[in-house]
Amino acid sequence: MIDEKIRDAIIQVRDRAKSKNINAFFTMHREKSHLLRIGNNAVSLNTSTDLTRLDVEVIDGHRKGSYSVMTDISSPDVVENALQTAVEKASVATPKEYKPLELIVEKEIKGMEQYDPALEELDPMVKTETYRKIIDETGKDYNYSGSWNSGSTEILLACTANKNIAWRKGTDQQFSCVLKDPVEKWELATFQTGWQAGEVTAKNAAADFKHILPVYHEPGFKVEPGEYTVVFGSQALADILRMLMWTGLNGKTYEEKMGWTSGKSIGDQILSEKVTIVDDPSNMNTFGFSFDMKGLARGFFPFVEEGKMTNLFYDIDTAGKYNRKPTPHNDSASLVMKHGDGPESPLEAVRNMGRVLFIPALHYVHIPNPSKGLFTGSSRFSAVLLENGEMRAPIFSSRVTDTFQNVFGNVELISSNDVSVNSSSSYDRRMPEATSVPSYMVSRGVKITDSADSF
Amino acid sequence: MRIEDTEKLISQGIARVMDEGAGYCDARFYSEDGSETIALIDGNLEENTASYESGLGVRVLHGGSWGFAATSRAEDVKETFNRALTNAKTASMLVNIPLDMGRMPGIKGKYSSPVGIDPFEVPLKEKLAFLEELDSNLQADFIQRRIAYIYLQRMKNWFWNSEGSFIERNLTNCFAEARIMALDLDSQMQIRSKSLHTPGSGTRGWEMVTNPGLWSAKTETIKEELAQLLKAPEIEYGKRSVILLPGQGFLQVHETIGHPLELDRILGYELSYAGGSFVTLDSIGELRYGSNKLNASAYGSIENSPGSFGYDDEGTPERDYLLIDRGILVNCLTSRAMISEANQTAGKTIFDQSGGASRSTAFYKAPIDRMTNVNILPGEDGSLTDIIAQTEEGILLDNPRSWSIGSNREHFHFGCEIAWEISSGKLTRVLKNPTYQGHTLEFYANLSAVGDESTWVVKQVPNCGKGEPNQIMEIGHGVPVMRFDDVITGERS
Ligand SMILES: [Zn+2]
Repeated sequence: MIDEKIRDAIIQVRDRAKSKNINAFFTMHREKSHLLRIGNNAVSLNTSTDLTRLDVEVIDGHRKGSYSVMTDISSPDVVENALQTAVEKASVATPKEYKPLELIVEKEIKGMEQYDPALEELDPMVKTETYRKIIDETGKDYNYSGSWNSGSTEILLACTANKNIAWRKGTDQQFSCVLKDPVEKWELATFQTGWQAGEVTAKNAAADFKHILPVYHEPGFKVEPGEYTVVFGSQALADILRMLMWTGLNGKTYEEKMGWTSGKSIGDQILSEKVTIVDDPSNMNTFGFSFDMKGLARGFFPFVEEGKMTNLFYDIDTAGKYNRKPTPHNDSASLVMKHGDGPESPLEAVRNMGRVLFIPALHYVHIPNPSKGLFTGSSRFSAVLLENGEMRAPIFSSRVTDTFQNVFGNVELISSNDVSVNSSSSYDRRMPEATSVPSYMVSRGVKITDSADSF
Repeated sequence: MRIEDTEKLISQGIARVMDEGAGYCDARFYSEDGSETIALIDGNLEENTASYESGLGVRVLHGGSWGFAATSRAEDVKETFNRALTNAKTASMLVNIPLDMGRMPGIKGKYSSPVGIDPFEVPLKEKLAFLEELDSNLQADFIQRRIAYIYLQRMKNWFWNSEGSFIERNLTNCFAEARIMALDLDSQMQIRSKSLHTPGSGTRGWEMVTNPGLWSAKTETIKEELAQLLKAPEIEYGKRSVILLPGQGFLQVHETIGHPLELDRILGYELSYAGGSFVTLDSIGELRYGSNKLNASAYGSIENSPGSFGYDDEGTPERDYLLIDRGILVNCLTSRAMISEANQTAGKTIFDQSGGASRSTAFYKAPIDRMTNVNILPGEDGSLTDIIAQTEEGILLDNPRSWSIGSNREHFHFGCEIAWEISSGKLTRVLKNPTYQGHTLEFYANLSAVGDESTWVVKQVPNCGKGEPNQIMEIGHGVPVMRFDDVITGERS
């Protein structure tokens, strides 16, 4: 399955570089991506892309240079040109005060654990039909939109430090469907993820909508600013969790004293004892890579255990700069928040808690003050006011502005049910990433700071 | 991939898909889409990278639906047309309002960004020397972190469509920023930064980066301001006037005028990702967006801005038109296909021509409705000094630290680097951790002062994200100083 022409071109150039004592690291990235977008109950875009990239990094003592190309790289000449450009950049570079860590592919690895050729070649008709079924089953009076991104990613790493090749080919998909009421303007959403054809179904999407639709025919509820018990759903939880990690457990942020764990030490209690967060590529709710993008072998790695800070993650540059050991999380994450012992249904979980806000997803989460751990985002999609576990009313767009320490500190209950939330970014190259989180978390005293009079 | 090898295949490809019943087809070939990033962090050269992309993107309208395909492999040109056509045919199995591009005469054209010195021809050594000098100017004992950063882009592409258009574009962009950080008395990291802006006119090559007045001469100013932030009190929660310097005003305009006026967003094509808009088709010509002092334009041909590109990715020449006229919404950011759908949906002609805002960030992404240069026109309330003097109780704000906007852009929350308190028309002291929030229409209704030409600059935005797959676009915002009254500032304790 490996593209032998490309592999051989890279190996040939790598060996030649080694014979000239050039210290280089090669990353080949090939994606076959397909995306179908739905807007206004119709296909608005149907795209296929087949792209191959090569990154070359060269370290020359204290100097570093890199070059990326996206073009046809099956000829050794193209690979050699890219190498020479990186060599040239490194040779002119100003030396760093510290010696950058050498880039090494730690193990010979070939992985196709999450590869399904049927998903790689999925007929776009399957996607069109799935959306049609969702519309038929849920009702044609609403406005539907969404996207379904699927495809394969092939990554090959090589270095001049040894002969190892790390290679992985996998498939992944990310599905969303948004239902909007054309008059009242409220929006419901459903998400699915996976790496195999057949995992995304119209039935699951329609069931999600049907569960919440009745309450959305009630008048909207305006949440006055104040403190509330909030049930965060899995999408919101995964979103906040990633921001929490980035500003609190990131070695770079920590060393630079930028984040909310600045001043804390390993072993300190930073969150509720109900909260455990690890990186675990063997968790099948995530897209597991057995190596990271700098060639480090990956495995189970705890960050927060029962609320105590256990480890930070260090990218290779930060580790070099601050004389730390790099951790295998360079552009690769299988973040897992451990489940709790709450009942499967979030409604059941808050049956005796009076008035509670159910916020399944947050829109546009940002961090006004990383030192304080302050984040903000507004409720979107399927947010509901609950009273003693009964769905009472849909809530208008409401803003949560609170700290990670508070939201993950005052935890009342965590679901016993794990779900996979696809967190792949489509900003740059295809790079599947999913987070395993409990299906909900209940927190007390969450600050709502603003709300609209509309959804 | 090389133009010589692909030109004939592209013309043949367009002819073939049209023969097979397509309603429209366009192709974009990029012989080079290059970038260079250089970043000094605490004096260490942490980013020293360049990139090069080349390939072909093909868009086919068939049966009222879009199909798109792209490849970076030279041997796949024919296959890419086939896939785009097949994708369009599949898409047309689920169609609501059949899309129509309308009919336009073919356009032959060429556009090149005005460039004095091509930044890609400047030796790396010279660029490093420039940044190192800047970095040394950023140094001071109390500063814990310094970032000096340059990001350069160069793109050479050709556009063909089935109407006979053939357009060549050579675009150059230069972005740069200086940023310093230090811990305050409460051990919170404070930031002050200055990014490269353009005066709107002139060239946009390396000479812009090295022009001291555009950013690099401000190192002493931001050092002094950071020093003041370290011992400054925190802003208190309460309502007051806020004056936005262009460093913050551009983002306010970007998020609460630019994005809500993208027609694809208004029509619901971004609902599943970026969100919708509180603006509806009925709003155009009717909605009071803000006070009489609010005049906003989309101006694709500001001489020197990353939001100026000659022709958009449907071949429409750049335009200059008002979006908001004395507070009333009059137009949107539009493309050919979206105005066709909007007019069909409304049952009348709301938009008589495309706004030239169909843009794509790479050959492998399909164009969507984007901002070009979305500007606030200068007003008649004088200079910054004049506006401060006329302000009873308020704060002056600069540069974003965080931004979070409601999904329909109806409300927002911003955090800024620095605030200066204004009391009885005078700047009194610096306040740290400033934030403000509001509801878009109420906020612009309270626009009470707009600075004159002397306060107007074009801010460059290298990173506007939109669409699926996400596209990071370069745009510009020409903005003056603006004052808004009765704004909630700070956080409830
Ligand atoms: Zn944007």
